[in-house]
Amino acid sequence: MADRSFSISRLPGFATIAVIVFVLLYLPIAMLVIFSFNAGDSVAIWEGFSLRWYPEAWQNEAVKAATLRSLQVATAASLIATGVATMAALGTTRRRATRGQSFVYVMINQPLMVPEIVTGVALLIFFSSIKVITGYQGLGYLILAHAAFCTPFAYLPIRARLEGMDLALETAAADLYASPWQTFRHVTLPLVMPGAVAGLMLAFVTSLDDVVITEFVKSAGQDTLPTYMLAQIRRSVSADINAISTLLLLLTVVLLTAFFLLTRKRT
Amino acid sequence: MSNDVAVEARAACKVYGQGAGAVTALGGVSLVIRKGEFFTLLGPSGCGKTTLLKLIAGFESPSSGQILLDGQDITFDPPNTRPVNTVFQSYALFPHLTVAENIGFGLKMLGRPKAEVAETVTRMLALVRLEKMADRKPVQLSGGQQQRVALARALAPAPKVLLLDEPLSALDLKLRKEMQIELKRLQVETGITFIFVTHDQEEALTMSDRIGVMQAGHLLQVGDPRTIYTRPANRFVASFIGESNFLTGTLSGSDLTLDAGPRMPVERADNAPVSGHVTAAIRPEQIRISSDAGSGIAAKVLDTVYFGTDTHCVLALSDGTEITVRLQSPVSGDVGLQTGSQVTLTFEPGALIVLPEVA
Repeated sequence: MADRSFSISRLPGFATIAVIVFVLLYLPIAMLVIFSFNAGDSVAIWEGFSLRWYPEAWQNEAVKAATLRSLQVATAASLIATGVATMAALGTTRRRATRGQSFVYVMINQPLMVPEIVTGVALLIFFSSIKVITGYQGLGYLILAHAAFCTPFAYLPIRARLEGMDLALETAAADLYASPWQTFRHVTLPLVMPGAVAGLMLAFVTSLDDVVITEFVKSAGQDTLPTYMLAQIRRSVSADINAISTLLLLLTVVLLTAFFLLTRKRT
Repeated sequence: MSNDVAVEARAACKVYGQGAGAVTALGGVSLVIRKGEFFTLLGPSGCGKTTLLKLIAGFESPSSGQILLDGQDITFDPPNTRPVNTVFQSYALFPHLTVAENIGFGLKMLGRPKAEVAETVTRMLALVRLEKMADRKPVQLSGGQQQRVALARALAPAPKVLLLDEPLSALDLKLRKEMQIELKRLQVETGITFIFVTHDQEEALTMSDRIGVMQAGHLLQVGDPRTIYTRPANRFVASFIGESNFLTGTLSGSDLTLDAGPRMPVERADNAPVSGHVTAAIRPEQIRISSDAGSGIAAKVLDTVYFGTDTHCVLALSDGTEITVRLQSPVSGDVGLQTGSQVTLTFEPGALIVLPEVA
């Protein structure tokens, strides 16, 4: 006989609502991708298939510079964030829970809760006084700002990986003659590694598409790809933006797929 | 010190926390464990047996007192320098390593040549009968197999002492029985000193050369299983290991006048009171029931409960004390005791022992 247990998928209208939601979510993105292959200049009228916007976008020196800057910032920031997040995750999971543990979680995840605009303004004011004192105008500010808001994104998968892992593992290694360094090298590090790689990718993607905080923190001539695109669109909607967006989307999809494969539960 | 001592604890004390919230896990335990023996620390949870094990392994340091291994003071040595290995309650197998890599871990950390590690791993796999599982990961093994890997991993570096922290508690009954035999076999084959921690009195009685019974951070009695069972040092040991009936009465010389009436000859445990109102213990299987009113203790049958091989008979004495008697179930029919009938209880001299209360 049929399974009579409750299932949300049997509620009336479930399929209809699901289809509508998915269409609303993905139709605009699909349009963007389709029009990146448009032969004409328009972003609204289809004039035939062409790959012309891809090389055209890459011919643009400003796009090239912004892309490289985005990759530099994302790489440096996600590495810093992953380092910090790994240490935080080890500190919060590889020992018995203590009082104040949830307060520590909240503190680590604080950048997820605080509105981005607040963080942006705060960093703008903070960094401008440092700029005045030191005279340093480089990419360091952007990298630090990105590292700060990427840390919780890196922390969550690492913590998920370590949580529930037997606390006795390091003790067992020490019992089996491993020095503290050997224990880290042969037990803790291999265990944390898949989580750290997943965290790195999530942090990288998060850094790559940030607009709000970057807009506040960047100095003149420090446009990343998203802020460059925003500036372009304010002037005129040009079709090469579609091509750049599609490439950015592709990179994100690849990284998130890898993230998913790394973090899924083995059966 | 004589050189057949493997481990010695001298007034080992462990206090967690400070001030008013301090908890004494171990209140000054002194203990000598001999080379090559299967020694069991037995007690209810929270009695300090695992704490004592951690002090020997080096996972914790004592608040005061000393731990000696082979006559050497190792009280504050880190665990990785002690020639002592542990089988953890959770097994703590390294999930990212294969069975063979897990077993070889200790020797690899000691920097032994690869050939020697490989040779020992092969020997250990054979010892625990897991030759075919060498390349599996721990998650691909059953609970019993993981247990054997944990054992092999701890035995591979040939430690002077093997510590086992309730290693059988996660296994089902049948597997536990098999592993008890397996453990005993491994101990005899390797000749390594085993210190086994458990709260299961049956496990302790069947496997150990000697047992140390612990309660509330103190060692109450150390002895071979037979002594612990037949001559418990106090009331706690008598009730924790096996079942006991407790009778109260007034002691004078070697006679006990029971509160329920008759005067019975008794033995006295060491440190038991010599006179006054005392408690005496007797095992349920050492009492005989007869239906004729003779010399003995008069009792009334309250209930009989069938347990398969045994039948337990619950009786009340004239002062209301309840007594359980264990009888072997007859081949056919019941034990022939009607509820409410009057009977007489007798026992061999020496079965009733006056015990001290827990110090």
